[in-house]
Amino acid sequence: MTLIFQNIRKQYGSNVAIDDVSTEFVPGLIHGIIGPNGAGKSTLINMTAGSYAVSSGAIVLDGRQMQSLKKYEIANSGIARTYQNIRLFDQMTALENLEVCYYPTEVGATWREVLWPPFGRSQRERRREACMEILRFFNLQGYASAEAGSLPYGRQRMLEIARALVMNPRVLLLDEPAAGLNHHETAELTAKLAELRSPDRIMIIVEHDMDLVMTLCDRIVVMHHGKLLFQGTPAEVQANPDVQLAYLGTANDIDEIRAAAQDRRAKLGIRARQRS
Amino acid sequence: MLGTIIQQTVNALTIGSIYALIALGYTMVYGVLRMINFAHGEMFMLGAYAAFLALTLVVGDIGAVGAIALTLVFFGAIVAVGFVGVGIERLAYRPLRNSTRLAPMLSSLGVSLSLVTGVQILAGPQPVGFPSFFPTTRFDVFGGTVTLVQIGILIAAFILMFGLYTLVNRSRMGIIVRAVSESRPTAQLLGINVNLAISMVFFSGPLLGAAGGILYASYYGIMSPTMGAVIGLKAFTAAILGGIGSIPGAMLGAYILAFVEVGGTALLPVVSGGVLGTEYRDVLSFAILILVLLIRPAGILGEPVSEESMVYKREF
Amino acid sequence: MSAVDTPAAAEPRTRRIIPLLVFALAVALLVATPFLPNYHIRVINGLLIYILLGIGLNIVIGYAGLLDLGFVAFYAVGAYTYALLASPQFDLHLPFLLILLIAAFLGMLTGILLGIPVLKLRGDYLAIVTLGFGEIIRIVMNNVDWLTGGPQGIARLDKASVFGIEFARPVEIYFLLLVIVFTVAVLVWRMERSILGKAWAAIREDQDAARGIGINTTNAKLAAFATSASIGSIAGVIFAASQRFVSPESFTLQESVLIVLMIVVGGIGNILGIVAGATILILLPEVLREFAEWRILFLGLLMIVLIIIRPAGIVPRSFGPDKLIRGLFGK
Repeated sequence: MTLIFQNIRKQYGSNVAIDDVSTEFVPGLIHGIIGPNGAGKSTLINMTAGSYAVSSGAIVLDGRQMQSLKKYEIANSGIARTYQNIRLFDQMTALENLEVCYYPTEVGATWREVLWPPFGRSQRERRREACMEILRFFNLQGYASAEAGSLPYGRQRMLEIARALVMNPRVLLLDEPAAGLNHHETAELTAKLAELRSPDRIMIIVEHDMDLVMTLCDRIVVMHHGKLLFQGTPAEVQANPDVQLAYLGTANDIDEIRAAAQDRRAKLGIRARQRS
Repeated sequence: MLGTIIQQTVNALTIGSIYALIALGYTMVYGVLRMINFAHGEMFMLGAYAAFLALTLVVGDIGAVGAIALTLVFFGAIVAVGFVGVGIERLAYRPLRNSTRLAPMLSSLGVSLSLVTGVQILAGPQPVGFPSFFPTTRFDVFGGTVTLVQIGILIAAFILMFGLYTLVNRSRMGIIVRAVSESRPTAQLLGINVNLAISMVFFSGPLLGAAGGILYASYYGIMSPTMGAVIGLKAFTAAILGGIGSIPGAMLGAYILAFVEVGGTALLPVVSGGVLGTEYRDVLSFAILILVLLIRPAGILGEPVSEESMVYKREF
Repeated sequence: MSAVDTPAAAEPRTRRIIPLLVFALAVALLVATPFLPNYHIRVINGLLIYILLGIGLNIVIGYAGLLDLGFVAFYAVGAYTYALLASPQFDLHLPFLLILLIAAFLGMLTGILLGIPVLKLRGDYLAIVTLGFGEIIRIVMNNVDWLTGGPQGIARLDKASVFGIEFARPVEIYFLLLVIVFTVAVLVWRMERSILGKAWAAIREDQDAARGIGINTTNAKLAAFATSASIGSIAGVIFAASQRFVSPESFTLQESVLIVLMIVVGGIGNILGIVAGATILILLPEVLREFAEWRILFLGLLMIVLIIIRPAGIVPRSFGPDKLIRGLFGK
């Protein structure tokens, strides 16, 4: 089971947001996508989840093309996500926010649930129990019957991840899960996310918090100006001069960066040789 | 045949001008607030009643009134309705600015209901004869009849629309209104007085609507408290057809709708072999409205809604 | 027990007493109704029909968050179904229950046929299109004389009868309505609590996020439209059977707005709120009958004021039937 991007592109008019990105995500690992603002990280997530249409190329999960499916079909084939700006169902309770995720599997039994009270009761109890368990995992059980919109910001972030987990997704897309969290909350989040690593789950995190990414992720994709700049392990990424320049430098074009990096490597190489 | 065509063309232009005046109000309000103002049809109705009131109370005998006095009455009435519009926005819509998307719409339904019944209580529910603002002279053009009223309506509507167009595109006020239409949050950040811009829109929209009401009433010689409902919906159709939020779109949509309606009304009984009579004229407009919304919700000149501009806000 | 006087301690008590009081009043009214003069029973019957309509429309407006301004069209579908199938118009005299089923089905069908094209529209456009649809239905009813009798309508409808029991006098209609309203209310409330009801709420809160958790929003919305339409249609059948006369006059835009108003005033998305809203909007004008022409003005102003100062309505969404039951039976 893998998630593959095949030459995907996203264009708004003449403006290219994602340019020919190909990569592969494998289960059991936590993948990070990083890059400066406007690099196209969120666009990748949004295209994978079906929120944005893909201009060309393919997104393939388990050999199945996803890019032409409707958003709810993508969700039902096992891709769950959180949003950069929290999007909970504000006026529903925390528990209901999770329960509603049972819709795709249980909507067929709606008539039985409405007309046959004992069945309805058992359905509701089963749902509640399963969801409470996930709430407990995130230490949210105390908020179960509070309106989601009334939760503290950090708890809302957690609840959104919990909601994505109820769907028992094969691919979990987290769009800046640490945004707006304080230091303590970020640590808590990092610990929870590490626990979510599972051999049959692909996790992809878009994040600006480099500490979190470097601690958590097994593989990192670096985006720059809509192109894939580099991918590798955290250590490789940290050591890569292209990446350093993309983050620190001001060059606008990827080729410029490459050229500059080449130049730098050459200089470094010379220096290294001189030293030895 | 030529006479009929000319006559029907003038008919369509006349009614189209009136639709355009009202449609502009819908489109401008939608532009700044993204709200459908259900009470806008009532501004049209209020215009006719305000002018009638001014004529009977202030001027007295209509026969003795000169053109200048009539012009004064006309402008007095529409400016008064403009202020009513500003007041309504202050009281009924502004408190809901940060509420859900549909709350101001529901509020405007309430305003509409109140205004219709308010006028019914004050002036009686029956239709009232309306004095013509123009002499009832008729011309014969290649066998078709064109009245002076129609010409007057065309000229008045043209002047008003040209005035609005200049105001929006040339004046400082217009720039502010356009900025707010473009993006209210950005305009606010730039220190633009958003409330002033919205008040401007709620002044000029009802003003034009009221002008439409007076012209309509003098065209048909009748007015009633409920006259705003159907015409309002048609003008709204015109605004949607042209692309809601777009000022040229509203005018274009209004004339297209008028021509379709005049043509359709003439052709419906013929095409359907007498099964569908002229009473289906309103059905025709509603059908156009529904079709446009389904096929091209952005209208003719409106910008298609892209996925980026999908605003996340609860509708209820 | 002097501590009861402090606000903190008094609150839970009033919270229980007020619902109890209101509930007791409602039960007393229901029990007393059969002994009232016929005129009053007719008013109560009208109220019950409006409650039924409110419960139906609330599914679309309150649960799924879609503003439908043409609900009266479905009401008309039901009324005319009864009028055509149980009158001398075509000399058809089908049994009441069968017509009820046919009408519920036709209502559902109309709802789906209207829903398929329009449900992808944004909220405000949906409102306008449904409004236009309601008007089209009314204009058509007014003009297809051979079918609907045009503006004169259809008269001399059959008396409703179920298993040989006739429902024609106001008291009889009252009992019939009571049973139907209660059944529908319970079913709709159970629907609200079902997984479908939760999906409706999710769509209302954030349509796009709802898609993101795998909800086929189009289907869920269609289900809301269809259910709501068939309840509206059922209300229409009972309305026609109790009036034994139908004409397009009963199905104006104002009627649609009134039902929306009931929901907004009473409490969006809450069956108890609908009952409260309907009671206020239908009974109040009866009490103020001398000021007949002022009452719609009053309703219009009330709508504006309530949306501004109390957008959640008189009975908030959080105080639903489950809270009432718990309040009544302890626990």
